Amino acid sequence: MIGATSALGDLRAMVGAEFLVTGEALEAYRLGGRKPQAAIVPADDVEVSKTLTRAWEEGLAVVPWGGGTHQSVGPPPSRYDLALDLGRLNRLLVHEPADMTATAQAGIRMVELQRQLAQHRQFLPLDVPLPERAMLGGVLSARSSGPLRCRYGTARDLVLGLRVAHADGTLTKSGAKVVKNATGYDVTKLYLGSHGTLGVILEATLRVYPRPDVEQGWWLAAHDLGTAQTLADRILGSSLVPNRAEMVDEDAGRACRMPGPGLVVSISGLPETVQGQRATLERMAAESGVMPAEIRDAEGTWRALSDFPWVNVGWNGGGMRALWRGGAPPADCAKAMLAIRQAAPRSVGVSAAASVAHGILRGGFLAEAPEAVAHGLRAAREVLVAIGGFLTVLDAPAPVRAQVDEWGPAPDGVGVMQRLKTAFDPKGILNPGRFVGGI
Amino acid sequence: MNGNGLAPEIRRRLIQACQRIVGPEGVVSAPDELRVYECDALTYYHRSMPDLVVLPISTPQVSEVVRLCQDVGVPFLPRGAGTGLSGGATPHAGGVMIVLTRMTRILGVDVPNRMATVEAGCVNLWLTNAVKHAGLFYAPDPASQQACTIGGNVAENAGGPHCLKYGVTTNHVLGATVVLPGGEVARLGGMVADGPGYDLLGVFVGSEGTLGICTEVTVRLMPQPEAVKTILAVFRTIEDASHTVSGIIGRGIIPVAMELMDRETIQAVEANVKAGYPLDAGAVLLIELDGPRAEIEAEAVGVEAVCRDQACLEVRVARTEEERALLWKGRKEAAGSFGRIAHHYHLQDAVVPRTKLPQVLREIAEIGARYGIKIANVAHAGDGNVHPMICVDRDVPGCEERAMAAGSEIMRRCIEAGGSVTGEHGIGLEKRDYLGLMYTPADLAVMRRVRAVFDPAGLCNPGKIFPDTAEHAGASHSPRGPSAVSKP
Repeated sequence: MIGATSALGDLRAMVGAEFLVTGEALEAYRLGGRKPQAAIVPADDVEVSKTLTRAWEEGLAVVPWGGGTHQSVGPPPSRYDLALDLGRLNRLLVHEPADMTATAQAGIRMVELQRQLAQHRQFLPLDVPLPERAMLGGVLSARSSGPLRCRYGTARDLVLGLRVAHADGTLTKSGAKVVKNATGYDVTKLYLGSHGTLGVILEATLRVYPRPDVEQGWWLAAHDLGTAQTLADRILGSSLVPNRAEMVDEDAGRACRMPGPGLVVSISGLPETVQGQRATLERMAAESGVMPAEIRDAEGTWRALSDFPWVNVGWNGGGMRALWRGGAPPADCAKAMLAIRQAAPRSVGVSAAASVAHGILRGGFLAEAPEAVAHGLRAAREVLVAIGGFLTVLDAPAPVRAQVDEWGPAPDGVGVMQRLKTAFDPKGILNPGRFVGGI
Repeated sequence: MNGNGLAPEIRRRLIQACQRIVGPEGVVSAPDELRVYECDALTYYHRSMPDLVVLPISTPQVSEVVRLCQDVGVPFLPRGAGTGLSGGATPHAGGVMIVLTRMTRILGVDVPNRMATVEAGCVNLWLTNAVKHAGLFYAPDPASQQACTIGGNVAENAGGPHCLKYGVTTNHVLGATVVLPGGEVARLGGMVADGPGYDLLGVFVGSEGTLGICTEVTVRLMPQPEAVKTILAVFRTIEDASHTVSGIIGRGIIPVAMELMDRETIQAVEANVKAGYPLDAGAVLLIELDGPRAEIEAEAVGVEAVCRDQACLEVRVARTEEERALLWKGRKEAAGSFGRIAHHYHLQDAVVPRTKLPQVLREIAEIGARYGIKIANVAHAGDGNVHPMICVDRDVPGCEERAMAAGSEIMRRCIEAGGSVTGEHGIGLEKRDYLGLMYTPADLAVMRRVRAVFDPAGLCNPGKIFPDTAEHAGASHSPRGPSAVSKP
């Protein structure tokens, strides 16, 4: 490791001792029981690029690091020499309110980005979990999303272009700063959701939206999830334009301070818009035998839904806790949630919610025995895979991880994915072993 | 130009092999019949005949034909309806053209999930018509939607007037069955969003037929809006109209469409279809709002206020479906109407930040004047997507050259304004030389890397997108000369 030692010396000389973390402070960068040799906190793009070039020369395994909120997703790295902390690339570079676009650096925290956009009454409709900690680059790398995807879509729809540092330190851009672009391949899409295995996102140009004048939410308590699904299908197939449509089971409901299974629906816009749609929503609810209740603490409810299951899974107590995210055809959300509960061992506490417009499920399992949690995860995955879906483990203790594959069966096209990884990062230094198919 | 570059013996064997795969009725090889396929809707730039055309009826057939091409080492490319505007489906390197127009079925409409799965050759408008009864529609609506295929839309990441609010093809495609350039069949994406792995579907959409051939597509359907309001705003100058566009977006109103047409366009349209646009106007904006009734009523008030601020001459709201259809007919027939004012025109497709629209449109007018070339403008103005129509009179010596020069200057100005080379037509053959204006060699190297991963032999629609046609030993795929086949 003489090369590594000399590389770390070079990096320290570049960023200064203060920004090359070693020793005890590396605890913050621990992954799966392993700490890196150092963590570097570069000041700008050029320093990121030089860091990667040096790591590339020495073959050091690099873990790009934002707010760390999604570092639990996927297996721990198979090699881990250097954490590349993007926390100092934390500026909103450009905000063009009249174009409804903004360009921000990867290390800006989501709440800070929203605060600055709000100065022009705009926002980025990515209501991801843990926004106080989560940073933009990590959110995009993990393709994280929240309930607002119902109306506004995901990072796929909101990111217009990226600036990326590659494994060898080369800096490139993808996409453009305009809202419509068909120039060359849309390589932006490859980086989104790639968990830092193809390149390190440095900045993103985003589509931003005006903040609505009014937003009103309703809690639609249903007798059972099936009723909630029927109502959701009706709403989503109608001319109503909901911002959020979240289905929660009893335990997820408790986590979000709402009783029983049901739906949370919100509508935003001008006051007259919301009023106009309210009547339709109430009529549809009544026809399904559901009584709508206005949500009073709207902000609190939105946060609880965005943070579920990361912050509160609906029950307390020790033991083994696993969080997961899954996908199902939208109209099968309730069916999947029920089947997942039934398939889990009886000793496992289960809670689940779904962004019902897009069939994105998330939830948590809790039990004393890791075997029971792992069994629950595998069974839930079987349920989802059988209907064309998937399940990804978001977070779990090591004894659970030992018994379940975090990503599940390889998707179609995994061979192409592996070849892409080799083409982008032939030495395998970016987040090795953390992604799908052993990437 | 003629793309027939295969040695006769090899061509004969290819034809026989393809006939075995798709049946004799699925192979076109007579020279006069092949002429139909020598270009797409980019007719002025480059024509080249394919060596043969194959019309498969299933994914396995497409896969077999692709494998055959790989075995023989001949280039191949897909084609839908051939309505593309950048030469993406022009058989630049000859070879085998795989035409998807016999795969037109709507395989399934899933109303509860608001999705449909279609074969690649399904015509865009057929899908919307087929789901109307369920209160749904397919949002991307390219001007050629009566003819263009969904598979072609996927290849080009097609847009359309209504993409301002709803987004372009990539925002609506959930899954695709794809024959990769090596012949393997892969299902990318599907009914379930956000599956694990790299977003291969995302990079496939808009890859202009160079990363494989899509045979089936699963798309998202949208519920029809409660109400629609179509407004024609008439302006003295194009400047006033373009300031109005920025003003409306700046107010946070996102119409479903906001189309700009200038004086030349209005004249041409009125001479052709009589949409009722005022002939004395300097520009019109066709603005459409859709959504909950209460919302669009409120937004319409805002739109009108912005129009008045910009000294608008008239605001006309369509009162009936017929009036609305007529206003749109004018816009949809705009390109077709240019035959009235020019024998030939070059249609551009640049995008600029919407706030730069007034400046860029002014510069386009200056460029036209400087080169002595008539330039008419239609624009998906809400997206900043301008479509200057550069008129060419081929009887006037030097006109073609001046038109080309004016075109590149416009392109450069759009890029300098922070824009993009193409918003929805793609690079194809036409804009390869402009790619370097927008992307550095390092940026392009990333795209080439993707290309090499999907298509190491470089046989899938070679010569498209990238500036130098020499990529992947392009010389051996020269459209002329028997060396086009490396292996018999």
